[in-house]
Amino acid sequence: MIDIKPEIFMPNEEIIDINNLTNEQVALEINNLNLHYGDKQALNNISMKIPKGQVTAFIGPSGCGKSTLLRCINRMNDLIDICNIDGEINLHGENIYNKHINVAELRRKVGMVFQRPNPFPKSIYENVVYGLRLIGQKNRRVLDEACERALKAAALWDEVKDRIHDSALGLSGGQQQRLVIARAIAIEPEVLLLDEPTSALDPISTLVIEELINDLKEKYTVVIVTHNMQQAARVSDQTAFMYMGDLIEYSDTNTLFTTPAKKKTEDYITGRYG
Amino acid sequence: MNIMNNWFKSGSPWVWLSAAGVSISLISVLGLLWLIASRGLPFFWPAQIHQFELVDPNGIKLTVIGEVYDVETIPATQLSHTGIDTKGAETVERYLIKTGNRELVSLDFRWIVEPLIVNRSTPDKVAVIERRTNGNFYGFIEDVYMDGKAVTIDELDTFIDRVNDLQDDIIDLQKTDIGAINYDLERIRLEQRKAELAGNLTAALKANFAEQGKALNDQYLLLEQRLDELRQQVSRDKITVKAMGGELVDINLEQVINIHFNNQLTVIEKTGMFFSQIASFIYQDPREANTEGGVFPAIFGTVLMVLLMTVIVAPLGVVAAVYLHEYAGNNGFTKLLRIAVINLAGVPSIVYGVFGLGFFVYMVGGSLDQIFYPESLPNPTFGSPGVLWSALTLAILTLPVVIVSTEEGLSRIPSSMRHGSLALGATQAETLWRIIIPLASPAIMTGIILAIARAAGEVAPLMLVGVVKMAPTLPIDGNFPFLHLERKFMHLGFHIYDVGFQSPNVEAARPLVYATALLLVTIIVSLNMTAVSIRNRLREKYRSLEH
Repeated sequence: MIDIKPEIFMPNEEIIDINNLTNEQVALEINNLNLHYGDKQALNNISMKIPKGQVTAFIGPSGCGKSTLLRCINRMNDLIDICNIDGEINLHGENIYNKHINVAELRRKVGMVFQRPNPFPKSIYENVVYGLRLIGQKNRRVLDEACERALKAAALWDEVKDRIHDSALGLSGGQQQRLVIARAIAIEPEVLLLDEPTSALDPISTLVIEELINDLKEKYTVVIVTHNMQQAARVSDQTAFMYMGDLIEYSDTNTLFTTPAKKKTEDYITGRYG
Repeated sequence: MNIMNNWFKSGSPWVWLSAAGVSISLISVLGLLWLIASRGLPFFWPAQIHQFELVDPNGIKLTVIGEVYDVETIPATQLSHTGIDTKGAETVERYLIKTGNRELVSLDFRWIVEPLIVNRSTPDKVAVIERRTNGNFYGFIEDVYMDGKAVTIDELDTFIDRVNDLQDDIIDLQKTDIGAINYDLERIRLEQRKAELAGNLTAALKANFAEQGKALNDQYLLLEQRLDELRQQVSRDKITVKAMGGELVDINLEQVINIHFNNQLTVIEKTGMFFSQIASFIYQDPREANTEGGVFPAIFGTVLMVLLMTVIVAPLGVVAAVYLHEYAGNNGFTKLLRIAVINLAGVPSIVYGVFGLGFFVYMVGGSLDQIFYPESLPNPTFGSPGVLWSALTLAILTLPVVIVSTEEGLSRIPSSMRHGSLALGATQAETLWRIIIPLASPAIMTGIILAIARAAGEVAPLMLVGVVKMAPTLPIDGNFPFLHLERKFMHLGFHIYDVGFQSPNVEAARPLVYATALLLVTIIVSLNMTAVSIRNRLREKYRSLEH
């Protein structure tokens, strides 16, 4: 069994002021982002800076646009024909919606984990090295090492090390979700997007993943969408509250949950609606 | 009333109805197999040879020896004008006897009626002589001669083995060695003609060709000599057989394939013979206008054509389905394309045959001949029906099936797989080849299974684009380039039609029709089973996804 520490993770000790970030501290900068599904506007003029090496959570009621915003960051919304985006998202000072941007390359830098675990019907090993094979890595030793490193980073190595060539579909839901995280970090992205990563999991698996998220921010900038406010409070350093396509409030997690500046935020976190 | 109502509500009528539907389908399939098996398989079982003593109304005695093929009951009134005494019976039985002995009587079969039979026996000594030409001979072996000298009948088995070996040598020499020389001679002629057409046929070149031709001709003469020797050796022995009418007939052993004394055989020996007959039906070439011998070239042609068709239709169908499902925009034009594809499946197969003949054979094949084989014109190379054109025609015929099932499979793949791959930096094409196509492979296999099932049973279009009654050579042989896609081929489906309805000896061929049909079904089923087992493996591999 997995060794579960029943402690609550505390947010990062040093609290940074997200309104006064230096350029080095910014991982992503979203400027005046508007998104339409056909005639319907789903995101209204969103602007925010996501700091490097921290966990940023998007919270809000269903349909508020938090997942849509997350999918804008690695351009997964491109797959939807009727989706129109204007505004910019800057990664390293360059707008990812520029014409000459290679989307596949962008997605290697900005990895994503989805709501339901979606391992490929291949072996555990092949799942983890999928991204590396895509960039043409054939060296067996490099692949083996990357696989072990990624599985260790995703806290899955001890459980699967004897059967990494078995099908990934034989793993439990929680293990599959960690495998998917391992798969995403095997290609060493800069940003990791997590779209409600624990909503399909049981409480114990959830706890393991939350612990993992806390470890991941050492190396990666993590952006997580969650409908679970306790989870946001537990794992994130910054929290953005969204409502009906608007970014209502964005501040460090402690402030947002203890002294929200906006009435809507307060109503939401005290459970008056949503 | 209430009870009836409750019974209806309980749903049991539906259970009964659906069970009845399944039973009817099952019974029809099994009934079909049973019918063709029961009509076809006895053909291979060594039959008892009966000897009938008859006295006809004029008092003339007659002996008939042969296999009983069929028994019919007819009303006695039918015989009243022939003067046969039916002893007041309402109906009489009549037998269809296969009497063979074609050099004595031109018909293989004759009917005899029950009242004429005065004695019926199964003599031990009657021999069934299976021959290369003229069909079976039934009679009593009187003498055996080796090189003109009489020897005992015990030597017969070794003589027959010797003759069969020699005949095999002769066929081998003709088909392989002399065939290769003929092939080379033709090649040299074509090369010379090619040079002539290109205008660079110099005297030296011409002399070179002549020299090559002469060398081959010399080889040919040597082989011809060897062939003559073999032919002489093979006709060394002969037997004298007494036929049913008492006539003595000399049969040279070169004509004989085997001799059996069916009435002396035990059940075990008969079983052995049954299986060896089936085996020779499968691997031998046909004889006597396809009514005797085996069907090997037809089996070979059917399987080769179906495999070729599969190789062509699978990538084509998959690529088309991928385009329709993955790349084409979701607009009216795509919908129109899809409807067109589905409608293509409803076009009668003979129409595809006409299309294949007009487009593939005459247009494409004709152009290929003009461009690549001008030296052999006016003889067509690809410009006449052949196995390639048949495979292509059937590939077009089965294309809709593969497209529809592949598209179905593609649409069932969860979008999370696609997103997962794209999020890892895969392009759409990479996602397609690494994730989507493997996941859709069971559905693709389903399409291929349906395509094989349809193509293997199709005969009508093939008659226009490549099937012949008798193909002199197989589409694969030892002459470069080994696979000759332009050649015509034989097909079991056409073979059934040809043997059953176009042969000079329909009565004799009837069991062959059933046997060939059984074989065709077996081959289609085994091709299908192979595909099904591949599909099941793939399904097993991706099983957990289908929740």
